[in-house]
Amino acid sequence: MPRSGSDIAALASVDQLKAVMGAYFTRVKEAAEDPAQRVAWCSSVGPAELLYAMGFEVFFPENHAAMIGASKKAADYIPVTVAHGYSPDICSYLTSDIGAFLTGETPLQRYGFTSLPRPDILVYNTNQCREVKDWFSFYAAHYSVPVIGIHTPLNVEDISEDMITYISRQFRSLIPTLEECAPERFDIDRFRERIALSHDACVLWREVLETARHRPSPLTFFDASIHMGPIVVMRGTTHALEYYRMLKQELDTRVADGVAAVAGERYRLYWEGMPLWFKLSGMAKLFNSLDACVVASTYCNSWIFDDLDPANPFDSSALAYTRLFIVRSDDVKQQVITDHLREYAIDGIIYHDAKTCPRNSNNRYGLQMRIQRQTAVPYLELNGDLNDSRCYSEEQSIIAIETFVNQLAMRK
Amino acid sequence: MYRAGLDLGSSYTKGVLVDDGGHIVDHVAVRTGYDFRAASKEVLDRFSEAHEIQYPVLSCGYGREQLDVPFTSHSEIIALAAAVHRVYPERLDIIDIGGQDTKYVRLTETGYVENFRMNRKCAAGTGAFLEEIAFRLGMDPSLFDAMARRSEKDIRLNSYCTVFAVSEIIGLIKNGSPMPDIVRGVYHSIAKRCEELAIPQHTLVFTGGVPDRHPMIVELFSRRWPDIRTPELPQFMAAYGCVLLGEDPGGSQSVAEPELAETTPRCDDCSV
Repeated sequence: MPRSGSDIAALASVDQLKAVMGAYFTRVKEAAEDPAQRVAWCSSVGPAELLYAMGFEVFFPENHAAMIGASKKAADYIPVTVAHGYSPDICSYLTSDIGAFLTGETPLQRYGFTSLPRPDILVYNTNQCREVKDWFSFYAAHYSVPVIGIHTPLNVEDISEDMITYISRQFRSLIPTLEECAPERFDIDRFRERIALSHDACVLWREVLETARHRPSPLTFFDASIHMGPIVVMRGTTHALEYYRMLKQELDTRVADGVAAVAGERYRLYWEGMPLWFKLSGMAKLFNSLDACVVASTYCNSWIFDDLDPANPFDSSALAYTRLFIVRSDDVKQQVITDHLREYAIDGIIYHDAKTCPRNSNNRYGLQMRIQRQTAVPYLELNGDLNDSRCYSEEQSIIAIETFVNQLAMRK
Repeated sequence: MYRAGLDLGSSYTKGVLVDDGGHIVDHVAVRTGYDFRAASKEVLDRFSEAHEIQYPVLSCGYGREQLDVPFTSHSEIIALAAAVHRVYPERLDIIDIGGQDTKYVRLTETGYVENFRMNRKCAAGTGAFLEEIAFRLGMDPSLFDAMARRSEKDIRLNSYCTVFAVSEIIGLIKNGSPMPDIVRGVYHSIAKRCEELAIPQHTLVFTGGVPDRHPMIVELFSRRWPDIRTPELPQFMAAYGCVLLGEDPGGSQSVAEPELAETTPRCDDCSV
């Protein structure tokens, strides 16, 4: 049964994270208010480096939607969007974000925003899902601005040269439309610089996550879900690079000093799927009380674009953003997860089946059973959602998680 | 001194009183209602009338920490597994149908929980499904089992959503279907939902309040998987398992071998 009164040792870098994210939102706000500057909205695994290279400030609606989820207000906003003809079964990032907009509210109010930063253009990549296009199209229609994007093949087994050529051309074909509203014309050297910055930040982010291979782990999935902010919204900038250098240093110190993120770590778990943003801290406390550290996740590992190469910026962008886990076939996903199980010495896997995010719910086609047959690592399926708290049963989930950890205890 | 095990569920609070020899000397189930503490007190007061209870008591279920007396709580699934393994010490599968949850648990021959699943966030296939349908039909659910046995017709309900199922039942009533056929159809629906939890691979043990009060559901399921057993007190297994686990969350079983008989499902419709 859970230990009571167990505190979680917060990373000191949290203060710096708040400052870095606050400065980012201030830049976006000032750009949206300054007629001389331009704001592009970008999907979370979209072509951020290209947009930064052309002088845009870049805003990420998925980051905004996760903030709505964390504020526990998504369930208030989703019905508003549903009344406008969107199904409650589609992406709750989309439905909660548009619902907040229609309600006239945003979690960015604490950064001085009165509404969303007005976009000059919206740019997506369907590598994660089609919803980003539908989502962005709503705002493109509202603001009467262009929406353009890259259409990536799905369920990819092997990434062929033809595929890279096809996607690389799509990256290039964005440029003429971007130049119509960008502050700067496209310049290959500036693009190379941004690609190099993004690559280096991704390598650091990977190294941050890999510190969790140490036993005891210096960070949890729940920490990483917060500290991933800069790699989502600032990759391609020096800000992300500087932040992850500092975070890595703190984690290295923790490792050297034997400081555990979960004091008394006994069980090392893998999280497959999205976070439950509205339960992030509750989940962190629950696992901590069970001496269980969620040390690795598919989700946080998805922002490692270390294939980016300034010598070959377009093709390497195509490769990096197609090699992404969510784009791949189940066979590739199985390999990725089983590698993580080994590298992080995982005792059990939790599959979060997010009701409104089928692409990020990898327990729906039998993958969980195939991985268990291959590795004998036990798993738990948890029904919930990224933002829609109505799809989550707290009591049932707590019983399931406690039982799962008990199951692991009996196994040890 | 006697050990008390309590399973504080969403619909019923179940208690067992176990002697030093591991025998259940008393058991009682009371409606949980809105007050877990009152329900657990009612159970313990009943036990205290004739026996001295050892504290802490052992608890599991949704209200496992809602007691006004010293307690040690356990996961209800681990408790259920401990009890079923004690009665049937072999490799087996369990389906537990309670008021709020339907659970599938796979046990190894040593009693290790190899895998478990719970129903999705949906009332279908649980006691809540039966109670809602009984309420909407203005019937007492305790009459369902006897009523279903008067039917030999296999009406299938397509809906698993409780609200849609009631609408479908109203359609059946309009078309003149007799109530026994409809109730049997409701039972079929629950048996079908159990099939979704997992493919049985071993002896299947049914536990929980629903198989206790509606044994015909088990009989209908046994058409698909005949190797089925039901313990003598299916609704009380998790409460009993708490006592077996004792105060050790790791699952030490500190009482002597119990004598819980088993029953085989009755079935008038087939050879099982």
